[in-house]
Amino acid sequence: MFTLKYKDDLFKFILSVFVLSVVLVFLISIIIILYYSYPSIARYGISFLWTKEWNPPKEIFGALTFIAGTFLVTFLSLLFAIPFSFGIGIFLQEYCPFFLRGVFTVIVEMLAGIPSVVFGVWGVLTIVPWLRESVEPFFNAHFSGVPFLKVEENIGYGILAASIIVAFMILPIISSITKDSLASVPKLAKDGALAMGATKLDVIKDVSLPYALNGIYGGIILGFGRAIGETIAVVLLIGNQAVVPKSLFSVGYTISSLLANTFTFAVISPIYASAEVELALLLLLTSLIINIVGRNILNRVIGGRFSRSQFGGG
Amino acid sequence: MEQHSQAPIFPSNKGYLKRKKFYNNVAVFFAVTAFIIGSFPVFHIIYKAVSIGYKYLNWRFVSTLPTGFPIGAEGGILNAVVGDVYLIIIASILAVPIGVGTGLYLSLFGKKRTNSFLRLLNELMIGIPSIVWGIVGFYVFSTNAGPGFHFGFSALAGGLTLGFIMTPIITLLTEQAVNQIPASYIEGALALGATKWQATRAVILKAALGGIFIGILLGVMNIIGQTAPLLFTNYYNTGMPTGVTGPGGAVGDLAMLIFIYIHEPSKILHYKAEAASVVLLLFIFALDLGLRLINYLAKKFIL
Repeated sequence: MFTLKYKDDLFKFILSVFVLSVVLVFLISIIIILYYSYPSIARYGISFLWTKEWNPPKEIFGALTFIAGTFLVTFLSLLFAIPFSFGIGIFLQEYCPFFLRGVFTVIVEMLAGIPSVVFGVWGVLTIVPWLRESVEPFFNAHFSGVPFLKVEENIGYGILAASIIVAFMILPIISSITKDSLASVPKLAKDGALAMGATKLDVIKDVSLPYALNGIYGGIILGFGRAIGETIAVVLLIGNQAVVPKSLFSVGYTISSLLANTFTFAVISPIYASAEVELALLLLLTSLIINIVGRNILNRVIGGRFSRSQFGGG
Repeated sequence: MEQHSQAPIFPSNKGYLKRKKFYNNVAVFFAVTAFIIGSFPVFHIIYKAVSIGYKYLNWRFVSTLPTGFPIGAEGGILNAVVGDVYLIIIASILAVPIGVGTGLYLSLFGKKRTNSFLRLLNELMIGIPSIVWGIVGFYVFSTNAGPGFHFGFSALAGGLTLGFIMTPIITLLTEQAVNQIPASYIEGALALGATKWQATRAVILKAALGGIFIGILLGVMNIIGQTAPLLFTNYYNTGMPTGVTGPGGAVGDLAMLIFIYIHEPSKILHYKAEAASVVLLLFIFALDLGLRLINYLAKKFIL
């Protein structure tokens, strides 16, 4: 029996080593980001967050432009994505004929599988020309006086183009979680309402949604987490100019697109690199907090079940 | 029974019902519209990529190296295909044992508190943006200054960084697969006196094999589309790698190739980027099909 016990202990030991290495990877990642962002945190302090100027040669670094761009893109993409993913979730779970549900769900999951860079290329070749040739001239002609809808340069690239693409990318996350949450509603409650003469809309409105609402909030929070770190598609579409966006159509910069474009040059100067790593730290902290909150909600509602749509290519 | 012959209790019942049905139909209309608009990009992305890139979609395109000026104007994308194979293999060597091992630990050995901590950790790792992984990978593997492995911009650095992204996905799917095995299978083995290792080898790994494979394929599907982490750890190589570390160790990558080509002013490179997108999408959808097939077979034959 000695060998059996020995083998079992060895098995447990090897698994523990793997587990420890995962913990180590996580800790090392956090430590690296903290260590390399420390010079910038020490030098610029908290005012880093609301200083507008970003001037590497003069070593003046302020993140406001990029924070504003990131939150604007994230907010707008959620604004676009939430109603649609709501509709898609309701359609797939409640209205779709049963024999089509499988196929339609696969289509939504395919949307989640499309890599970010392919989305970006599609945006460059489709969304940008459409914005430039139809949408922006229209807004220029009719809404030029409205502050947030002013078209400054009619180029198609900008906050709106990036937000539309990011909205499509987070659509599968929110809609599949909406669908799962609606699926977790007890059938008895729904059948009871139907037997009382309620239409399907009544059932959705008065039975399913109140029950599933927490899960849907969780889905929206996870969608937020995904949108905030979205990089490659945004780099291709946002215009990459360090200005605080004043309108839906103006160009801008997000934290992730700045890192993608300039980090390789930044590492030459330690303080420049440190400022960029501090931006990454902001991104990391935001996404960690968002994921803790969103996962907590989802674990309570749909039992921590991950749906496929949550790992798209970044 | 006599009630039938009497007047309805609510005189306005009919109009009320009609209005209810009308609202329901409006809701159906909005839900269907949302679905159509939401799924439009899937079809349009494929249509656009094929209609622009179809000229280049032949065997020569995937079997020759890019040449010409600007580089890529002639020739194909062999560098990227080979590079993706390198990256997938390196990432899998890191991620498969660690991911499967952690998943098994979670479902076999973990105490309640360690488990909930590890699960949280795993979910957090899935949520870390890929660009942050790129920076971590740069400082751990690529940089030549300070502490680290000093691999330079190379396949090893890029592949291991992608492995970090792949690990939590495999862990999650492994744990789910093991938890789906009926408890009686494992308890039966343990009751017969099997140690946990024997139960794992004889029962758990066999029953959970489908789920574990799905995890690995999902991980590969995810990293194959990643561009951001490779920007700082591998970047791009127009030729074949001469090693996996140091100078000459960088590899091409499909996603990176598309990203670089679309930045170039040359129209021909845009067409090639779309052709490469078709190749990438084909690869991803083939993996997708594979894991659906495994899912189906596993449900039918194993459990």
